[in-house]
Amino acid sequence: MAEKSPVKEAASSESIPISNSNQLKPSPQLPSKFSSQTAPNSEVPSTPTSRPPSADADVVYVPSYSRWFSWDKIDSCESRFLPEFFDGRSASKGPSLYIYYRNSIIKLFRENPSRKITFTDVRKTLVGDVGSIRRVFDFLDHWGLINYSASSALSKPSKDTGSNIKSSDSPSVESPSSAAPTSKHSSNSRRICGACKSLCTIACFVCDKYDSTLCARCYVRGNFRVGLSNADFRRVEITDEAKADWSEKETLLLLEAIMHYGDDWKKVAQHVGGRTDKDCVAHFVKLPFGEEYLGHPLSNDHESGFETNKRMCLTPLADASNPIMAQAAFLSALAGVEIAEAAAQAAVSVLSQVDDITASRVGSGSLERNSKRESEISSNGDTNQNALERAAYADANSLLDKEEQDIERAITGITEVQMKEIQDKFLRFEEMDLQTEKERQQLESMKNLLFIDQLNLSFRRNYT
Amino acid sequence: MKSPASASWKAPLKFRMPTAENLIPIRLDIEVDGQRYKDAFTWNPYDPDSEVVMFAKRTVKDLKLAPGFLPQIVQSIQSQLATFRSYEGQDMYVGDKIIPIKLDLQVNHTVIRDQFLWDLNNFDSDPEEFARTLCKDLGIEDPEVGPAVAFAIREQLYEIAIQNVTSARENRISKKGRRAAEHFTPSKASGAALDLMKLFSFRSSVVRKRKEWDYYKPVLDLLSNEEVDALEAKEERSGR
Repeated sequence: MAEKSPVKEAASSESIPISNSNQLKPSPQLPSKFSSQTAPNSEVPSTPTSRPPSADADVVYVPSYSRWFSWDKIDSCESRFLPEFFDGRSASKGPSLYIYYRNSIIKLFRENPSRKITFTDVRKTLVGDVGSIRRVFDFLDHWGLINYSASSALSKPSKDTGSNIKSSDSPSVESPSSAAPTSKHSSNSRRICGACKSLCTIACFVCDKYDSTLCARCYVRGNFRVGLSNADFRRVEITDEAKADWSEKETLLLLEAIMHYGDDWKKVAQHVGGRTDKDCVAHFVKLPFGEEYLGHPLSNDHESGFETNKRMCLTPLADASNPIMAQAAFLSALAGVEIAEAAAQAAVSVLSQVDDITASRVGSGSLERNSKRESEISSNGDTNQNALERAAYADANSLLDKEEQDIERAITGITEVQMKEIQDKFLRFEEMDLQTEKERQQLESMKNLLFIDQLNLSFRRNYT
Repeated sequence: MKSPASASWKAPLKFRMPTAENLIPIRLDIEVDGQRYKDAFTWNPYDPDSEVVMFAKRTVKDLKLAPGFLPQIVQSIQSQLATFRSYEGQDMYVGDKIIPIKLDLQVNHTVIRDQFLWDLNNFDSDPEEFARTLCKDLGIEDPEVGPAVAFAIREQLYEIAIQNVTSARENRISKKGRRAAEHFTPSKASGAALDLMKLFSFRSSVVRKRKEWDYYKPVLDLLSNEEVDALEAKEERSGR
């Protein structure tokens, strides 16, 4: 369908009517195609506040930032904004499909330029999946190639559905309005997600390319603009930013309060003021040990820290269902970390020695390997927990190996017995063989004797 | 020439639409406050979830529907997507299958009836391309017919793909061996597939018999306004 109406080009806030001969919007690099009128017109500096002449139905306005558009060609910004058609991932979704969508949408709009076409009109008439049609539609809408009428040239074009667009090519009108929100973003310590406009609490994702911020939910759902991918975002933790900005004064108050009130965190919280007791405890635990704070008793910190450590150590094993393990845990906790570790190591090494002796008798290599492993494991020990676990592990391993050995022995015994059986059979067969041989020889000799007797008889008969 | 079906049993593939693009058909039929919204379109299941809400918002805005439609549309689309995703991880058997696809659509003023054969094993097939070519060749002026044709094709392919998945599941459950599965697929194939083997055997030719020409020809009708209204009224009555 040839485009019959001439096209006029409009700058973002001003408009320059440019008439054209039956062809779309000229690019200055191809002057030969177009009438000579266009060249001088496009170079004319626009009068800042000229309004478009009363638009006739045949004239279509295109903003100057969409200068690149042509029916047959694909511009680089199109391939950048809509990469799905150009990355060759699927055979059928190629540039030709994109051109089909784009041209059909624009044709549809230009049939009646004074009326804004809606996405639903478009997608009802185009064959394809609605997601990609929507993206092309949004792209064209944003760049003013459709739904761009003289009236909207006056007002700033409305923001799109929520993704921030900050590329350098984007329409100049957009950039001042969008630059303002970004400065707001960076000035606040509180982050507001660009897509869903909600406060970011735990973590947010920042894209440096386009300087946009997304909350975790939007990032996960992929609610960012099409040109970006997951890798462009980096994670920024916020949890501690807003909440735990403990100032020096607050920390001092906290420490004073602890000195006075000891373990009564409610009073401490009162003294600090503005922090709950849980916050105080949490912050206190995170404080580094005393050297930075002058005039503060070291022992308190150390002991309390140690106590919490011990308490933490006891709990994992203390409620083990195995009473022996529970006792061992209790004893090791009482004895202390290094002692328990040493005891466990000694136990493991003795176990491995015992295993070594039996291994040398039987001669299997697996035990040696195992003991080596055990000693390796025990040499890596840090806490008493780990040492105990390793001792149990070594026990289990040695039991397993003993069973293995038993099984091996049984198998070798069985095979020996069978071999003996076969040997006996061989012997018996050999004896039988000998006997039959003897019998055969006897029979032969008897046959010979009989033959001689027969001969004698026949001779005697012949002679008489 | 086609080899016998039992020898051409293929290993089961992961479920997907047997087309070049893994797009699924979505059908909406919602009634709110006496307003009825019926729609059918193709959806890309790999679009992010935000897409669903955006699409629903725009549709409601463009068609000036009551705002009560919005959550229903979102829910319907999401449930159909979820159904598709539940099938997605499972296996489907694809034997040798050429199936007849039937079109019987009425879009605005155009009625189109057609029947053609589609190769289920061709994962490069493109219903959209087919629909575009069909509309261009038949000179259909109404641009809404194309998407409807593509959607109808996709819907039928989707149904058959789902059948393949359930048949694969049944095979596994009943613990039939490989052999039985081989026998299963050709027997489950529609009669058309088996007939095609006879068609493509060395004895007969590939050219269609004259008496079958009428079945495989597209029929295009343009209705007048009264006929359209009559059809709509009939549908509503049958719906009730």
